[in-house]
Amino acid sequence: MGTNLLDADLVKRVKAGDTGAFDILVQKYQHKVINLVGRFVSDQAECQDIAQDAFIKAFRAIHSFRGDSQFYTWLYRIAANTAKNYLASRARKSPRYTVDVDDAEHFEGESGLKEYANPENLLLTDEIRATIFSAIEKLPDDLKSAITLREIDGLSYEEIADVMDCPIGTVRSRIFRARDVIDKELRPLLE
Amino acid sequence: MTEYDEKLSYLLDDYPGENPEATLDDVIGDVNLQYRMRRYQIIGETMRHELPRSIDSGFHQSVMAQISEQAATAQPQAATSTEQGTSLLSWVTLKPFAGLAVAASVALVTVALWQPLKQESGELDGGLVSADQKKIQQLADQQIQGSAVTVSTQVQPLGTRWKLEHEMPGLQQKLNAYLVNHTEYSNSVQGLIPQARVAGFDAQQ
Repeated sequence: MGTNLLDADLVKRVKAGDTGAFDILVQKYQHKVINLVGRFVSDQAECQDIAQDAFIKAFRAIHSFRGDSQFYTWLYRIAANTAKNYLASRARKSPRYTVDVDDAEHFEGESGLKEYANPENLLLTDEIRATIFSAIEKLPDDLKSAITLREIDGLSYEEIADVMDCPIGTVRSRIFRARDVIDKELRPLLE
Repeated sequence: MTEYDEKLSYLLDDYPGENPEATLDDVIGDVNLQYRMRRYQIIGETMRHELPRSIDSGFHQSVMAQISEQAATAQPQAATSTEQGTSLLSWVTLKPFAGLAVAASVALVTVALWQPLKQESGELDGGLVSADQKKIQQLADQQIQGSAVTVSTQVQPLGTRWKLEHEMPGLQQKLNAYLVNHTEYSNSVQGLIPQARVAGFDAQQ
């Protein structure tokens, strides 16, 4: 899934002093960064603190980001190093798994490492998950196929158009409509 | 609004569409659009099983609050780094000239001090000679016992050691023997300068 253009634009804005653009980047990558830090630190509070610290470090160092790599690769590196430094400074037990930064995004690990949530948040997250999958099940086939090919298989609009044998404009419209239908179910939970 | 949401969906998938800058401006300035974008994000993460076991809806607000708190320190840092960059650039540019300036200053100071020092050293020699003239004359009148060596009243200018050697053969040898003997008998480290021993004596007193 390509995320270069949006990220590059947002980074450019942050460098120009627009902190609101960084807020978008935080919202976009917060769950991925928390997941990554969760590979190293099992405690929820520590995990959140380290993830926050990583974002703040990224913000402060963003002028040094030259765009040679993708933004999220750079951000993940900062997050992984922040987590490792935290463990080293506290002389904590090292993580059970050695996860390479490049593989961390796809690392499943042990579910026990992620058992750090409070009951309310756990319940809410479970509810969100159930709502989304339920909404997907109820989608018409063309919308379900379009959103599945996009989000799970990571195909581009052009590839989906080839697979579904329809114009790109239709793909774009189907993906949006699928998101819109799911969002209508999801919104009450997050407001 | 639906048309706008479609643009948002398009932008999230990294398809710029028409006027993406304006769309992004609107998203940055509108909290509701940000929430919508985040929900779209959550849909994708859930489908890919990337959603954390527990999500904190206030996470990004905490991050931005901390960044705002630190903004006062973060901005000056950025400014300082820019200033450092500028000063480094100017230093690199001016470095050869600075080297030349230092070399020229050293040369000037050397030349300026050379003549007065030369004159001053000449005057000092004269002064010393005149002050100690009487004592030297007394020494010259005395015969060193057990030695045929006579002391000249003439003050030898610097660089005439060969002359002393020629006029007073054996003097250098005696001087060397004296120094060696006294160094051997000293209870300090060999080669230590006599002044250090005197200082030690004073301290013991």
